[in-house]
Amino acid sequence: MFRSTPRASGYYRTGYGQDLALIQTRTERISLAILVTLAIALPFIAGPFLLDLACQVFLASIGALSLMLLTGYAGQISLGHAGLIAAGAFTTGILAREIAAPFWITLPASALTGILLGLIFGLPSLRLRGLYLAVSTLALHFIVIYLGGEYETKRGFSTGILIDPPSLAGFKLTDGRAWYFVLLLAAAASLMICINLLRSSSGRAWRAVHARETVAEALGINVAGYKLLVFVISSSMTSVAGCLFAYYRGFVSIEAFDLFLSIQYVAMIIIGGMGSLLGALLGAAFVTLFPYLIESLLALLPNIQKFAGDIFAVNYTAFGVVMILFLVFEPLGLVGIWRRLQNYFLLWPFKYRPLTGARK
Amino acid sequence: MSSVLLSVEKAEVVYKRAITAVQGISLSVRDGQIVALLGTNGAGKSTTLRAISGFLGLDDARVTEGAITFDGHRIENRPPHEIARRGVVLVPEREKVFQNLTVAENLAAPVPRAADKRRLEDQIYQFFPRLADLRGRVGGLLSGGERQMLAIASALMCRPRLLMIDELSLGLAPVVVQDLTRRLIMIRDQLGIAILLVEQSAAVALSISDYAYVMENGRIVLDGDRERLNSHQDVQEFYLGQSDGNGQDSTTARRSYRDVKQYRRSRRWYG
Amino acid sequence: MQLFINIIVLASIYALIACGYVLIYRVSRVLNLAHGELMMLGAYLVLATASLFAGHPLVALGAAVLLSIVVGAMVYVFLMRKMTGEMVLAAILTTVALGILIRGVIVLVWSAQQQYPAQALNLANPSLTLVGDGHISLWSAVLVATNILVYGALFGFLRFGRWGMRMRAAGQNPLLAAQRGINLHTVYALAWGLSTLTGALAGILMALDSGVTGSMPIIALKAFPAALVGGLDSLAGGLVGALIIATAEVLLIYYVDPLLSDVVPFLVLLAMLIVRPWGLFGTREELDRV
Repeated sequence: MFRSTPRASGYYRTGYGQDLALIQTRTERISLAILVTLAIALPFIAGPFLLDLACQVFLASIGALSLMLLTGYAGQISLGHAGLIAAGAFTTGILAREIAAPFWITLPASALTGILLGLIFGLPSLRLRGLYLAVSTLALHFIVIYLGGEYETKRGFSTGILIDPPSLAGFKLTDGRAWYFVLLLAAAASLMICINLLRSSSGRAWRAVHARETVAEALGINVAGYKLLVFVISSSMTSVAGCLFAYYRGFVSIEAFDLFLSIQYVAMIIIGGMGSLLGALLGAAFVTLFPYLIESLLALLPNIQKFAGDIFAVNYTAFGVVMILFLVFEPLGLVGIWRRLQNYFLLWPFKYRPLTGARK
Repeated sequence: MSSVLLSVEKAEVVYKRAITAVQGISLSVRDGQIVALLGTNGAGKSTTLRAISGFLGLDDARVTEGAITFDGHRIENRPPHEIARRGVVLVPEREKVFQNLTVAENLAAPVPRAADKRRLEDQIYQFFPRLADLRGRVGGLLSGGERQMLAIASALMCRPRLLMIDELSLGLAPVVVQDLTRRLIMIRDQLGIAILLVEQSAAVALSISDYAYVMENGRIVLDGDRERLNSHQDVQEFYLGQSDGNGQDSTTARRSYRDVKQYRRSRRWYG
Repeated sequence: MQLFINIIVLASIYALIACGYVLIYRVSRVLNLAHGELMMLGAYLVLATASLFAGHPLVALGAAVLLSIVVGAMVYVFLMRKMTGEMVLAAILTTVALGILIRGVIVLVWSAQQQYPAQALNLANPSLTLVGDGHISLWSAVLVATNILVYGALFGFLRFGRWGMRMRAAGQNPLLAAQRGINLHTVYALAWGLSTLTGALAGILMALDSGVTGSMPIIALKAFPAALVGGLDSLAGGLVGALIIATAEVLLIYYVDPLLSDVVPFLVLLAMLIVRPWGLFGTREELDRV
């Protein structure tokens, strides 16, 4: 499903239909079935705390997938991801608050905000690359946050905006289990969108732009168009995630979208593994669950009281350390570890791939 | 005969812990010798040079087998500045001068500051009088030939015992190349250093080298002194572009190097 | 007049911080987003040395400054050295992670309360009256003077110093520099040390003036646009950029809206990126270094 590596033994396709199929072998079909069953069964086994964690992971996954599309595949660095999430959340909050707009208006409205912001965020990319692009998105992040803060203070919501749970056809979405399925579906849908975008011409164009713009342009790829496209798609997905986030929390406040959140998203795709959708998912899960992991580890320590007041500082420190460890020792991320394991078993008893036909 | 200065023994280089680029090559350079390393693109010449000069680490590659010895010291997988200070200095293929530094600053930047630095500088300006006129010019504004001169000159400021030049003739007019090779021989004779040339143009390399190696697919397939290689049929045909001995003219009979080579090999193997 | 003084003080702060970004970027093409945290660390180090050398404020300050050089060099030796040759994004993120780490450790060690190193050192901070009825606090004046001194010294060092020239050479073409026997690690460690030194000077002087809290790095983040507006690889650019940003910020806060304070530098930055991405004095390099 996520793999581009060749399989160990001969699996040959005999028709275009097979070539296009997402699920190709029986092993894949079986493992997918198991995964789906587990995902459906989880809310009936797990308690509310675990469900909440799962929901957070799904929300983060949408954001991470869209950032992976932008950075991991199209090579456009963004440090303003939190600004986009904030934009979606605030669109939802403002609409729900000011005109009591229902769910089916705020969601497309958020997507629309995302598209608009994607165009704005994307414009610098036509001129800037690499570091400078990252800086421009950072600047835009601060501007979006400033606008949100202005709205909060001017309208007197300085502590944040409260949002009623969304209702669809008389059914109010408050139950944790229902939320779980909604967010699972949303995350799965984003994954499918990403997979399909990437294996179509747009995905190939993005990769070409990533590899070398001049060459891509010479090959007849509309570089400017595809750059804007990836910004638009990525930021509208992110905005939708922001909208869902606002509803899920029932509360929007500008403090939640600081620079640290942007960094966390970038950390997700780095820790997960650049240029891999599976990596985005793994990274999202890892970064979201990490603080809880640290907390439970701390609870095991004997003199917990000493750190109780500074739990966020411990979290900060640990997060910094883990990020550094990944960047220094495993630049390919969790996916890199996974691939190496795979390679090890595929190539065993040999150590290296041969010179000819080597995969770089 | 003079002593062996650099020797590479059965070295193997692996990129990214996965791809083998150079498979057990051995070569040696003697004091005061000019040695050429020939081969087409992708033969592994550059990797060999990088292995000697210590630049593999940047590409996540390393020498996994064998030894590289310079003047009795093992230098494989050592950092580049250390190797440079031992006296192995490389003139790289591209970006060979500091673009924003003037010619004089380019010559002043190298680290092993010899006590007789002034004398060395004068000597270098003798080899390349053109550079003396350009002292205040910024490196980025030099022409290709001047740049190559400056690169060699600044390499000489490191007081090398072995000078390695990656693609001496690349992008330069034949006249300029001829001039450069003449000066190289002069440098060798006056400073008594050894020179290792990596070249695609076999004609240039064989015109000044004492000994040459031919690489292909990460291995050395042929070696010998100038006379032997110059008269070797394969080299004549594929690297020098001369007629293949059957009286055919080189312009009409220029076949793809790989195809013919493959054919000849299989003929050799299958009788 | 007071407005003018405010601009000069703020510009000095930004310039002193900006030269740290410039030093590291110029030599190793890495954007150090932990600069603010390293600067804050310098300010907190004064607290540590103040209790160590109680009664000798100058010794304590000197020790803190020296320590900050060591810290900077150590950051390179133990962390950034491993990132040479990696993607630019990875290197930037490593500095971000380092910043997060330092912030956490500082809170764990010194708590999140506001602290006053000037009190710990028993140093006063009198307000000086200048011509035209302008006021400036003592430590702000020292900061302005330090800034001028630091820039003067750096200019001389890079232009005429042997290691300064090597730093320029290494910044331009690291591979070639290594070939010519320049130990890149020494050059980079030197750059990190110097950069942290200037950052720490800024942090310490600001802390002496108005205390230090965990939010100090924000100032450094606002100084970053100054470095970029001037041109990330140009020292002179850092000065000019700082002046531009500080002027815009002070005037807009005064005449328009205090809330703008946090966005003004970034608005100026965006404008600059659209018009002239490589900055006022920067060299127009190839922008695609990903």
